[in-house]
Amino acid sequence: MHTGRRLFLTLLLLVSAAMTSVQASTASKLRVVATIPDLGDITSEIGGDRVQVTTLTKGRENLHYVVARPSHLVALSRADALVQIGLSLESGFLPGLLENANNPKIRPGAPGFINTSVGWEAIQIPTTVTRKDGDVHPDGNPHLNLDPRGGRQIAGRVLAGLVAVDPDGKATYEARAAEYAQKLDAAEERWKTASKDWSGRKIVVYHKEFDYLAALYGLDIVGTLETKPGIPPTPGHLAELVAKMKAAGDVTILTAPWSNGGEVEQVAKATGARVVELPNQCGGIAGTDTWIGMQDLIHDRLAKAFGTTASQK
Amino acid sequence: MRATPLRFSPVAALAALAGTGAAQQAAFTTPGMVQTPSPKSETSTASGQSDRFDSTFNPAFSFVVDTVADYLHADDDSVDSGVDAQLRTLEFGAQAWVDPDAWAYFIGATDGDVVSIEEAAVHYKGLGGNTTLRAGRIFIDFGKQMQTHVHELRTLERPLVLRTYLGEEVKGDGLEYDGWAGVGDTTVVRWSVGAFASLVPESDEVAGVPTVSVASRKNAGDLNFTARLTGFTDVGENGLFQAGVSGRFIPNESAELNGSEQTGLSSSVYGLDLTYGWTSDDARRNLTVGGEFLVNTGDTVARIDDMSTADASDDTLTGFARDTQTGWYAFTDWAWNQKHSVGVQYSELELGDGIQAGEVELYYTRAFSEFHRLRFVASSYDTDVQDGDSLRFAIQYTAIIGAHGHGTNW
Repeated sequence: MHTGRRLFLTLLLLVSAAMTSVQASTASKLRVVATIPDLGDITSEIGGDRVQVTTLTKGRENLHYVVARPSHLVALSRADALVQIGLSLESGFLPGLLENANNPKIRPGAPGFINTSVGWEAIQIPTTVTRKDGDVHPDGNPHLNLDPRGGRQIAGRVLAGLVAVDPDGKATYEARAAEYAQKLDAAEERWKTASKDWSGRKIVVYHKEFDYLAALYGLDIVGTLETKPGIPPTPGHLAELVAKMKAAGDVTILTAPWSNGGEVEQVAKATGARVVELPNQCGGIAGTDTWIGMQDLIHDRLAKAFGTTASQK
Repeated sequence: MRATPLRFSPVAALAALAGTGAAQQAAFTTPGMVQTPSPKSETSTASGQSDRFDSTFNPAFSFVVDTVADYLHADDDSVDSGVDAQLRTLEFGAQAWVDPDAWAYFIGATDGDVVSIEEAAVHYKGLGGNTTLRAGRIFIDFGKQMQTHVHELRTLERPLVLRTYLGEEVKGDGLEYDGWAGVGDTTVVRWSVGAFASLVPESDEVAGVPTVSVASRKNAGDLNFTARLTGFTDVGENGLFQAGVSGRFIPNESAELNGSEQTGLSSSVYGLDLTYGWTSDDARRNLTVGGEFLVNTGDTVARIDDMSTADASDDTLTGFARDTQTGWYAFTDWAWNQKHSVGVQYSELELGDGIQAGEVELYYTRAFSEFHRLRFVASSYDTDVQDGDSLRFAIQYTAIIGAHGHGTNW
């Protein structure tokens, strides 16, 4: 027998042994994977002790460049439910993970596939889907987690999803969702007060992450640092933007931890604009471990930048 | 009583199971005609069952344009030196779900002269667990780089040791079965085994160099095989580490040179690969360090009688020496943001009869977006063979259009 064939059979035995490794299900809680910390926080709020939540991203990433990790694959393969934003926000890393995890409980269409953007009225739905417009999202702007109304939308979808997967916990989930709704009511009052004088304020954003927030409060988006969504700035585009900002007058640049780099500094220096770093996910900046905490911080920083009243937590 | 002749047609049975009306086939079919199953349309207009040419379920298509302009200086006068520019690859592909458990794809490629089917396979995931059965033509699962198509490499060329021991591209027609299992919460082990008709790489005929082949019809034990076992794990919050072992086995091959033939040859290649990756918190900066050690063993050194003439056309293949050679490559890449990255790759290997060769490549990549990039490469090839050294400077431009994917495994 050839040495090669013998070694091949040896390897076959080894891999067969690896294949038979069985993961015992020890957790009695519902295992839920949330793609971003915002979803993880709200799922924990509604699920309480009945759920064990694992979050894939850490909170500071550009979601286009998230690197899939072994722990992601393991978590998804064992999950009873997956909570995602949808609108192709997680398209850079989630489809490949889902395919490899091969978990029927969280496949699209299964009760455990919880898409929190279902029923959301997305803005900026392109009439023509072409790369000429950059990294477009065919179903519209996916950054609903940064809309102050987004928490209520997410909570509603998470509640429906958890009840579908774990009907026995319905009463618990509904009670906890009602408690969370009260927290949202109080928070929304704070944010309403903080934002009452923001209409018409001029902003520039790095990426179209804060467009829902801008639309809600009537902020005037003068321009974006990216030439098109997902397309990094070019020198020519930045020069045009600087000219536009100088003509517009008092402009605030909104950026996120992942995008707060040299280009933002360059434009701020050239125009004298103030820069406000805002979280684009929970956990990316200190004090944003919860979704409501993240929105509080966003409103506080904007209020400070615009010289208006900060929210009172 | 009237007798109706029955004939069983598997294809027609499939069509009946699919329960579809006629579409994109013969306009009208009678019993006994071959029927092609077609997807049911869900569009509102087609719900009236009026459109035979609905495109709702058409595959996702992609194109890749990979062009290279370079300057080559070779010490060997018989090798052309100078500037060249070429369309290295126009790749075109299509992929779609076949049913909920299977997806299929094909990748074709041309350099402007020759069109080839690089891959055409079905991935079936309905066997349960985390397993996949692949059937068709696929790139072999060996190390971290052999499944990668040339335009997706980190630099211009595959490492020298892989090109020499395995081939520039190694695709096989056959089956591969793979699966993975989680070990703890942060480690995954994956395995694969494959059986193929032939894993001898395609290569251009070179005067004085034997042509190697595998018989088209053979015993099952003479199929060509691959196997891989790999594990990767989280390292802290930002790191990943992967280690793997791979094997490629050709148990029965033959070689021919100017009418002289040697049969009953065999060869195997083994590899051990290690890779570490680090990603910053914002996922924009990446460091990747990796390498692979390879052993090439079997009938690997051809014995050629050159008849004491300089003319290669009268060379005769007299035999093969069983030998074991080793080689390795290592690389490091650093991307300091999503637009810019630099790297270096070094490879060296034994060629047999004590001859060694090495190649170093330095590269800088400028990504304009996720979909097109420009790369500058300088490479130097160094060998013990007299006048075998060369130096190359290249610019590579690659654009990716559409839903691009190769079914590459990790």
